[in-house]
Amino acid sequence: MTQAKISGEEIAAVLPTVSATIADALGCDVEEVKPDASLIDDLDAESIDFLDMVFRLERAFKVKIPRGKIVENARGTLTEAEFEQNGIVTDVGLAQLKEYLSEVPAERFKTPTKVKDIPRLFTTTTFAKLVIAAQREAG
Amino acid sequence: MADHFAAFSFVDRITEHEPGRRARGRYVVPADIAAFPPCLVAEAVGQLAAWVSMAHIGFRGRPVAALANETRFRSDVLPGNTLELAVEIESCDEHAVAYAGRASVDGAEAIELVDCLGPMLPVEEFDSPAALAARFELILGDGAPPGRFHGVDAPRVTRTTGSSGASASASLIVPESAPFFGDHFPRRPVFPATLLLDAQIRFALEVAVDAMQWPADTRPVPSRMTHVKMRSFIPPGATLVIDAELAPRATEATLKLSARMDDKPVATARLEVVARKRESARAYQ
Repeated sequence: MTQAKISGEEIAAVLPTVSATIADALGCDVEEVKPDASLIDDLDAESIDFLDMVFRLERAFKVKIPRGKIVENARGTLTEAEFEQNGIVTDVGLAQLKEYLSEVPAERFKTPTKVKDIPRLFTTTTFAKLVIAAQREAG
Repeated sequence: MADHFAAFSFVDRITEHEPGRRARGRYVVPADIAAFPPCLVAEAVGQLAAWVSMAHIGFRGRPVAALANETRFRSDVLPGNTLELAVEIESCDEHAVAYAGRASVDGAEAIELVDCLGPMLPVEEFDSPAALAARFELILGDGAPPGRFHGVDAPRVTRTTGSSGASASASLIVPESAPFFGDHFPRRPVFPATLLLDAQIRFALEVAVDAMQWPADTRPVPSRMTHVKMRSFIPPGATLVIDAELAPRATEATLKLSARMDDKPVATARLEVVARKRESARAYQ
């Protein structure tokens, strides 16, 4: 997900459908699905909900979103050892993560950041960017 | 291991198989059982998808019930019927299988599953990979002997609140032991999601009967189930709280269903029910 190249206009274009799809998957009102809402902390999403959201977004946008690779993609070009040590994101890894998840408010990044807690950072906009990346991949 | 591949296995033979893509299969519903509810028909379709997906990844993973976006209930299946099963695999890898499928009897569609997704978990947690591979070869070849299923007892469901209102709760006690646990699964017994859904549907229909006026000589039957989501495994002996919340509309209704275990949600779904003439509404009498 090369989010640096994803414009606000592109995100705005997909956000209404992304929000509605997430609301449908979580059984909540679409008004609750704000662009910067943490899917886990604000909307109570669990791992099965992430699978559901990706599945529904694939259908809504007719794209293929690789499952189980969101955290892996966040690593960018870093090796696993460069990105994390014993389950803790390294300094260089955290810089990469902040760049990858540029839509996430800075205060939500904890120090240290545990790899298992990375999904807590994902927001509605993160999923909008995943959709855009998948649309680009599909050409 | 007498119950393995018997007490909760609903594919006798795979008659067509395009690896990783699609398959057709057959299951003969034993004539001597009391009933074969729609959820078991759905289970049969899901099991055919599971065989195709497990074979596709070399029996390293097995899919578990998680998401079923839409199930359309068309007609009842009776003891003695032969189910013709068909599945289309949309995608399948080490993470998950996405599929659609249907079951029919004598050319008449009984059930259709749309947009289902099962995450893959390591086979070794649940079963012997070698035993699964051998069973797959059997049902892909000559087929397994039919008639090894002897029915399942419905779990005990006791209404706790909402005697005639639009929402109600009940307790559901999963048995400590049952033959199906020997098949689902041999290394890790799990209460089948389809049996939970069957109990939830029965409870929802009770709520719909109590809370609404249905046309004379009709009773509500399920027509469509959507947003099925299984959040965690249910072990033998678990006590669940199941809820049904009804939104009535003329001669049909929608119900929100949920199940909780230790106050945590384990399953959610939405059910649409419609009026059907009593004599043709056999599955849920």
